[in-house]
Amino acid sequence: MIIKSIPVTNKLGVHARPAGMIVNITGRAKSDVTIVYDGTRANAKSILNVMMLAITPGSSVQFEVSGDDEQDIMVQLEQLFHDNFNEEAN
Amino acid sequence: MTTSTKKPIRPRTVLVGVAASPGYAMGPIQAIANRSITISEEKLPRERLAHEEQLFLKALNNTIREITSLKVATVERLGINEARIFDAHLMILKDPTLVNSILDRVKKESMNARWAVHSKIKELIAEFEKSKSELMRERAMDLRDLYNRLLAALDDSGPVIENLTMTSGTVIVAHELSPSTLISLKKEEVIGFATDSGGRTSHISILARSMQIPAVSGLRNVSVLIEPGDTILINGTGGMVIINPNDEDIRHYEEKLAVFIKQKQELFTMRQLEPMTRDGKYVTLHANIELPLEADNVLDFGASGIGLYRSEFLFFRKGTPTCEEQAEAYGYILRTLKPYPVIIRTLDAGGDKLVSDISATDEANPFMGWRSIRVCLDRKDLFKEQLKALLLASKEGNLRIMFPMISGLNELRAAKALFQECRHELTEQGLEFPEIKIGAMIEVPAAVMMVDAIAKEVDFFSIGTNDLIQFTLAVDRTNELIANMFEPHHPAILNMIDRIVTAAHREGIIVSVCGEMSSDPLSTLVLVGLDVDELSMTPWSIMECKKIIRSINYEDVRATAKAVLKLDDAQSVNRYLRQKYLQTITDLGISSFITSQDFGSDLGDP
Repeated sequence: MIIKSIPVTNKLGVHARPAGMIVNITGRAKSDVTIVYDGTRANAKSILNVMMLAITPGSSVQFEVSGDDEQDIMVQLEQLFHDNFNEEAN
Repeated sequence: MTTSTKKPIRPRTVLVGVAASPGYAMGPIQAIANRSITISEEKLPRERLAHEEQLFLKALNNTIREITSLKVATVERLGINEARIFDAHLMILKDPTLVNSILDRVKKESMNARWAVHSKIKELIAEFEKSKSELMRERAMDLRDLYNRLLAALDDSGPVIENLTMTSGTVIVAHELSPSTLISLKKEEVIGFATDSGGRTSHISILARSMQIPAVSGLRNVSVLIEPGDTILINGTGGMVIINPNDEDIRHYEEKLAVFIKQKQELFTMRQLEPMTRDGKYVTLHANIELPLEADNVLDFGASGIGLYRSEFLFFRKGTPTCEEQAEAYGYILRTLKPYPVIIRTLDAGGDKLVSDISATDEANPFMGWRSIRVCLDRKDLFKEQLKALLLASKEGNLRIMFPMISGLNELRAAKALFQECRHELTEQGLEFPEIKIGAMIEVPAAVMMVDAIAKEVDFFSIGTNDLIQFTLAVDRTNELIANMFEPHHPAILNMIDRIVTAAHREGIIVSVCGEMSSDPLSTLVLVGLDVDELSMTPWSIMECKKIIRSINYEDVRATAKAVLKLDDAQSVNRYLRQKYLQTITDLGISSFITSQDFGSDLGDP
């Protein structure tokens, strides 16, 4: 299992479209992926769960990835956040 | 027309939908009440639950399909970024948290499917609405949209129609419009349509096109956003609406309307002119239609026949149409067009066009699945009904029959044998028929490789470019990761077309192109240069196409086609074509180049 905390640096936070982009990665993962935000844990493969966390800009989220492709998935998630979901940075 | 030059108090909202019927209109809105969804808490007996689960899954599937087609339309016109919101919607619909919990409510709590959908999604909406984040609260709208779509998919009854007392010159805004509502409207009272649901091929679109009233469908939530007193601007050419347009929008609109009216007037004068290049090469222009009703107008648009009648639209209903019903529909088109030719494509169900009573559901790969001629050759009962209907209608006009998705000689021969069988059976009953030309659609790469042999056994070819491109380039254009690889001008495609034309002309048969490619201005040039004999397209594109053909020299585009066949990639071909012809096309004022993006795309963040 890999656990990493990733800063949310885009301007609008994790709204519907970024949530979709996250699930695009986690949904294909063989690994289990859990997202932890503000004390709440959720299955990161469910777009509704991710959206409902209402992750705000300037915060950070923790991902727990556990399975065969955990390395790869974590790299992709980090890259996605790093690229600000192809949006404006904060 | 500039009724709302005063500062609008209500916010300006731009929405993108499906360009259902071209043209521009602006006026006050007239809302038609949304479908009143009846839901009850009624519990179901245990033995009904499995059935109820299936009902839900079917509705879910239909909703997914509806949104996917909306996404495709948005990708095509506005690009992938604008279409991303539909991905979010699709993901929500496929989210196990949602789907399983609805199924559980049916299974474990004996809820009826509608109540399960209602109770679960309303809970989610409430969660979103109490969110601290404003963006999340706004997303409740997406859930409301999905809620309406799912419940509508679970419900077959039509919308409740309010008493329609119309003032003239209004734009009808509704969740969806049933044919019965449409028929009750008077043409002079309505100047435009805007609906939440529906695509280019829904009733509203087809009817609006034949009434020549601009319409935009598939707007998701326009019926929720409007309020009495709002003004709405409809851009049916670009597939956008603006609620409460500002002064600049209105100025834009007036310019576009002026161009559009000018084009419509030209249409009338152009109608008499031949689609002939400056050096005298004649290119036949035909129309693609989906409903018999559309045949009424195609000659006005300057077509000299119908190059593709999609007969599957007769089958998009409950229960397959009888032989008599089909014969009547085909006969109507043939009579309307007589003496011009009408190419009727036999049932092309499957892929993205599911016919409820026939098609298999849940194929892993529907575009390569049990569809089109494959269905027909398996369901001989249905196919023979259709072939007999075609024979019975044949004396009404100039009929040609085309078999879709032919991948090799076996299928073609089997289809032709069934046709002969039908002919024989009817002749035995003392009926007589004229000679009917039989053609094959070339849209599977295997057929292109076998095209020399196939050419010997048919009277004409029709190239279906959409499937040919998708299969040849192995690109599913609904997949946003690769959608930009869907390249009609890929040299692989152009060389295939060249090969098809060469084989056909060697056997002395004609080649038509009936995909979307035939109406793209630059593609038109290449296709004429490649010696394609006929182009078939939506009636509205015919005038522009004729204009282009009349402005070019065949010898010149022939040389262009020869040159681009040798280029390495689609980018080079596009660059070559743009350099050589973009100015000419721009000078002709071709409106395909005036896109919806001119309106700006401040659509808000999804």
